[in-house]
Amino acid sequence: MSLPDGPVDKILEALRERAKELNCLYNVHEIITRPNASLDDICRGLLEVIPRGWQYPAECWARITLEGSVYQPPGSVNTLWVQRAGIVVQGEVVGAIEVYYTRQMPRADEGPFLKEERRLINTIAEWVAHLLMQRRLQTTLRNWSTSDAAAPEPTLRREWWVIIDFLGKTDHQLLTRIGRRMINHLCWNGIEAAQQLLERSAADLRDPNGVWFEDNRPLEKRSEQQLLTLTNDAFRIASEYLSEREIIACIEQWIKDDKSSFLIEAVEDQGTSLTEIAEALGRYHQFAVQDRELSRPVQVGLRVSLTRRLLTDSLAFMNTARHFIEVEDFHDILHHVIAPAASHGKLGGKSAGLLLACQIVRKANEYADALGEIKVPKTWYLTSDGLLNFVAYNHLEDVYNRKYLEVDQIRREYPHIVQVFKHSHFAPEILNGLSAALDDFDDRPLIVRSSSLLEDQTGAAFSGKYKSLFLANQGTKAERLAALTDAIAEVYASVFSPDPIEYRAARGLLDLHEEMGIMIQQVVGTRVGRYFMPAWAGVAFSNNEFRWSARIKRDDGLVRLVPGLGTRAVDRVPDDYPVLIAPGQAGLRVNITPDEIVNYAPKKLDLINLETRQFETVSVADVVREYGRAFPALPHIVSVARDGGMLRPVAFDWNPECDVPVVTFEGLVANTPFIPKMKAILRVLRERTGGPVDIEFASDGRDFYLLQCRPQSFADDATPAPIPRDLPEDRILFSARRYVSNGRVPDITHVVYVDPERYAEIGSLAELRDVGRAVGRLNKILPKRQFILIGPGRWGSRGDVKLGVNVTYSDINNTSMLIEVATHRGNYVPDLSFGTHFFQDLVESSIRYLPLFPDDDSTLQMAFMRSAPNILPDVLPDYRHLQDVLRVMDLPNVTGGLVLRVLMNADLDQAVGVLVRPAGPSAAAETRHVDETRPEDHWRWRLRMAERIAAELNPARFGVKAMYVFGSTKNATAGPGSDIDLLVHLDGRDRVRPDLQLWLEGWSHCLAEVNYLRTGYKSEGLLDVHFVTDADIEQKTSYASKIGAVTDAARPLALGRS
Amino acid sequence: MAKGIHTVATKAFNSFEMAQAQFDKVADVLGLDAATRDLLRVPLREYQFSIPVRMDDGSVKVFRGFRVQHNDARGPSKGGIRFHPQETVDTVRALGMWMTWKCAVVDIPLGGAKGGVICDPHNLSAHEQEQICRGWVRQVARDVGPLADVPAPDVMTTPQHMLWMLDEYEALHAGRHYPGFITGKPVGLGGSLGRTEATGFGLVFTLREALRELGLEAGQTKASVQGFGNVAQYAIRLYRQLGGTVVAVASWDQEDQASYTFRKPSGVDPDELLGITDRFGGIDKKKAEKLGYEQLPGDAWLEQPVDILIPAALENQIRGDNVGRIHASVRIIAEGANGPTTPEADKIIDERGIFLIPDFLANAGGVTCSYFEQVQSNSNYFWEKDEVLAKLDLKMTAAFAAVYELAKRQKLFMRDAAYVIAVNRVAQACRDRGWV
Repeated sequence: MSLPDGPVDKILEALRERAKELNCLYNVHEIITRPNASLDDICRGLLEVIPRGWQYPAECWARITLEGSVYQPPGSVNTLWVQRAGIVVQGEVVGAIEVYYTRQMPRADEGPFLKEERRLINTIAEWVAHLLMQRRLQTTLRNWSTSDAAAPEPTLRREWWVIIDFLGKTDHQLLTRIGRRMINHLCWNGIEAAQQLLERSAADLRDPNGVWFEDNRPLEKRSEQQLLTLTNDAFRIASEYLSEREIIACIEQWIKDDKSSFLIEAVEDQGTSLTEIAEALGRYHQFAVQDRELSRPVQVGLRVSLTRRLLTDSLAFMNTARHFIEVEDFHDILHHVIAPAASHGKLGGKSAGLLLACQIVRKANEYADALGEIKVPKTWYLTSDGLLNFVAYNHLEDVYNRKYLEVDQIRREYPHIVQVFKHSHFAPEILNGLSAALDDFDDRPLIVRSSSLLEDQTGAAFSGKYKSLFLANQGTKAERLAALTDAIAEVYASVFSPDPIEYRAARGLLDLHEEMGIMIQQVVGTRVGRYFMPAWAGVAFSNNEFRWSARIKRDDGLVRLVPGLGTRAVDRVPDDYPVLIAPGQAGLRVNITPDEIVNYAPKKLDLINLETRQFETVSVADVVREYGRAFPALPHIVSVARDGGMLRPVAFDWNPECDVPVVTFEGLVANTPFIPKMKAILRVLRERTGGPVDIEFASDGRDFYLLQCRPQSFADDATPAPIPRDLPEDRILFSARRYVSNGRVPDITHVVYVDPERYAEIGSLAELRDVGRAVGRLNKILPKRQFILIGPGRWGSRGDVKLGVNVTYSDINNTSMLIEVATHRGNYVPDLSFGTHFFQDLVESSIRYLPLFPDDDSTLQMAFMRSAPNILPDVLPDYRHLQDVLRVMDLPNVTGGLVLRVLMNADLDQAVGVLVRPAGPSAAAETRHVDETRPEDHWRWRLRMAERIAAELNPARFGVKAMYVFGSTKNATAGPGSDIDLLVHLDGRDRVRPDLQLWLEGWSHCLAEVNYLRTGYKSEGLLDVHFVTDADIEQKTSYASKIGAVTDAARPLALGRS
Repeated sequence: MAKGIHTVATKAFNSFEMAQAQFDKVADVLGLDAATRDLLRVPLREYQFSIPVRMDDGSVKVFRGFRVQHNDARGPSKGGIRFHPQETVDTVRALGMWMTWKCAVVDIPLGGAKGGVICDPHNLSAHEQEQICRGWVRQVARDVGPLADVPAPDVMTTPQHMLWMLDEYEALHAGRHYPGFITGKPVGLGGSLGRTEATGFGLVFTLREALRELGLEAGQTKASVQGFGNVAQYAIRLYRQLGGTVVAVASWDQEDQASYTFRKPSGVDPDELLGITDRFGGIDKKKAEKLGYEQLPGDAWLEQPVDILIPAALENQIRGDNVGRIHASVRIIAEGANGPTTPEADKIIDERGIFLIPDFLANAGGVTCSYFEQVQSNSNYFWEKDEVLAKLDLKMTAAFAAVYELAKRQKLFMRDAAYVIAVNRVAQACRDRGWV
């Protein structure tokens, strides 16, 4: 099978022609840019190379006419078959280039000439004109400077007049523009004569009565002569007030500025497409004008316009970007942009952030030593209107209105949308672009990331709402392209997925069109056997919101570091931990003892399996065992646990068979410039962008790569809470002024208070331990995340139990906050733990920590804490004997319906716990977790379902005496992921219990499915059922104590009929 | 008064007072004279000193250090160095006294001591910790040493800290090598082999002796173990080698924040379980089920119909409220953890005639191995692992025999017997030296 000869030959022929033309252009360029070559030499050189670019070089010769001189090969004869282009300098034809064929040739587009050859000859003529212009200016400038040096005393007609004359003869328009700028310049410098001149010229426009012309009458056009006079006057005044040097500097500057005018026009005109801007930038690039040489306003204006057109609308961003991203940089960027025809799209926030950070770092010379080399992975961009183009190209416009559907319907339809998108096609120009990008990337794995525009416009953090996909990028070009388009389609589809739509709805952004840029980035890393992965990666924050030691300051920053891909550092993963480092205090690690270090070390890593072409999570130990030294930078990453201690291998002689590798990054911290580099990056970016930042980075074991940079936003529970000044004294339960992190903890109904003085007085070890055990019991009984623990010294003290309540993480894991009180004991204040005993668990589950120093700058209402009714004897009768020490307060009960709200503001280093009315539904919506779009819906729906279940249940058949609901459903605090806590009082017939369990299981699965459709939260079942018997109720064991309890009692449900 | 040495209301819990009260009880049993009591109730020597440290930021911070040598009548005193932010001299005194009894009960020729520094390593860089270690040694170098007082790792101190201290000690002694100055060193740098196995194996050596005394055949017995940490794992291994069957293991599940008992009547295989154990010692429930393990509630280990219970996890696990759930078949409780049984439970266990191997005898394998490390270091000749473990067997067996013999003869509860024998040995040494 082969194609017919004809077409293939034609294509080959055409390609050969293009190559010839390009080669010719290349040669011409080389000749023209030869420094110090005379015009004569250049023209002679051109005669040689030009014919080679034409279709029949052997029969071809060129002639150049320039300023009266004629250059042509000896013995050439004019013929009829000629192609000609004029050389035009400042509007004046100064010569021409002609190409002749010696005999008749086959007909083409323009006689025997191709249309490509027309473009070729035009371009060469333009270049020669430009060269000529440059030469003229150079000569003039040289003349000025020599005469300036020779004759310092100004004569009547100074040398710079030469250029004015020159311009007057060659380019009137440029001259008048420069004249105008001179008048302005003089006026702004407060020179009266210039102001008069301006008034006089304005007066020409007035009628004799001194009244301005009517607005609706067109202004009379001023004659060119008038304008020239004005210009001359301007320069006459200038010569009186300004030094020669200054005037020359001005003129030089303005001529350069003027060269960028076409670019300014292109970017300012909203009608120009990206392609046109790219062309304008290309032309600008050819002039080789550094944008630093432009005058400041022009330079800034150009940078801002380009930023707005290409990157983002965000004002804050433009404000910073204009100092760092130069016009030239845009030229480079555009080489890697894929856009639909006539695109008006942008690159979006994520791309813009990275580009800016990269320029900032590159230009931070004073930090160059600390920063070292910082790379950015090879990146291509797909503009934001690519999505619109994709939708239009496949006639999918319907999808835009899906967002107004009910969320459960969106969720149900979403898998279909993904499939439809994946089976749609991309416009040819996009496919071509992607194909070019793939050639550039080679077969290195890629990540396709979204770069949302809405994010910048609104300041809402969409992080994690849209998809980022890893591609192994292996196989044939066609396979790779298919995988890439598939991934882009999937990212596009994620715009219409339920979670971001809910998120947008909650923020009132639903009506705005979401446009989304795409960033295609090479994955940083190396090949290790069948895997591809970075040595290490992570995220870093300017502000450390999780300080584990009083010595760490907020601006010491925080790094979350993992081996392999950074995905495990960006997100909190349930079964693993990243290594935490505060770059400003890198010596102070969270985990100190070998046990802590081993327990909280990263155990798994994410990577790309090049064989299966999948993103995978594997065990660090397995990879190390399999590949050993081939694991990049292994000595920087792991230490070895041996003999009850941690050792950092000096050389890699350890035996992976018996030594356990523990990821500590000790080597990276101690033996590489990682920490100073990280400190410098965070510092430079914070300084230059004017705020704290959040970056992602990775290393292949050799180089450091910056992957992302954006302002440090806050998780929704960690925004700084405004602290009102006029809080009534008697409503403040406690306040703190040190070591405060950000956030707010709303609607706390219960306070568990361990009285520091009473605790210190306890005489028996058993009783001290009992306090810990009672707290553990309260942790199970009190409403989840609605109570706080306040106690002396160190929670979780493992050594001396006297120094803090003896609890483990499981004894406190349902609290919303942990408060440690440091009161003077004798003559010293005990150190606080800062939650270090289970610090990483607190971080990963967002339990807030606050230290109080009531003897110094904090307050704690001891009187209230001691006098408020204590419900401990009622809720935990077994621990009645602890009631002097351990106090449990039901706040709404003792305060007439008030709840505690804790406002924490790290910027002010201030926190208060204040008693307030419970937030109404609207206020609650504001304070609650983002996903809870309508928080009241979640519990109402759950309560309704609980009531339904009870009503449907046949009590006689299942031996049910009563049924209760408790927990978040009863307390109206249920979120989208909450389960429904049911308490079933059985009559003790064990035989029917399996039936009941089965019956309830059915409900549980069904409700879980419905809840998933409503909220997107997946669970295996929604019901959490506890069975109790008469005996349990009598003994008030565990959940039975909820029935008829004094506080937070379970709510009875009406049962159905038998 | 120095920072950290504070007075609290007298009725407040004080560990030193508690240790003294415990001693007084034993002294009564032994009928010790007043002078011996006075000598043993308080430490022989106490050092309290300041350690100035140049911090990483250039500032200087002064740390408070201690060394308490409770008694060295039987040999150089031995005991750990604790880094604790709320260290008090009373805690250190109590622990020093405890070390004296612990060394005496296994009859190794060492006295008891303890030391510490008030500091929280969580607030200190590695370099700062090194300076504290070196500072500590500089302050007490003339009062400690291989022939006087031998430190070891303890709360929040590690082999690394020991090496810094050793290095400073040797530097102060003209670069002469004294590896016997300190224990807890890594193998290859003065450490001893067999350290990992020591406590678990030691436990089973005493268990083996107990079985023999009770006339039970190890191969015919079953055991239930709480915990799956280092001690439990090696105890299970050796017990299986003796022919016994472990039918249940309870372990902590970090994710659920609860513990579970895994039961396999045909016998638990520690290697099999280790393959599915996470970093916190938690066992993967699904995989365990596939391997034929039945998952039960956390405290079910206590109720199993076995001959032997080995609590090797936490303190206060067998209490007044659950001691009644111990199965009637149980004959022996071997305490692998520290203080797993409360005094109320002790009473019931005694009444039911269950044989108890008390913690400070059962888990003395650790301190015995430290002694071996020091012996090896002093002679600069290091034994093979088999040799270490064989010597450990001898020591543990002898220690058990002595305590058991006393308990039988004097009709004492094993825990009391262990205490009595320890105090008696120390008192005798003081008497023999002519101190009292």
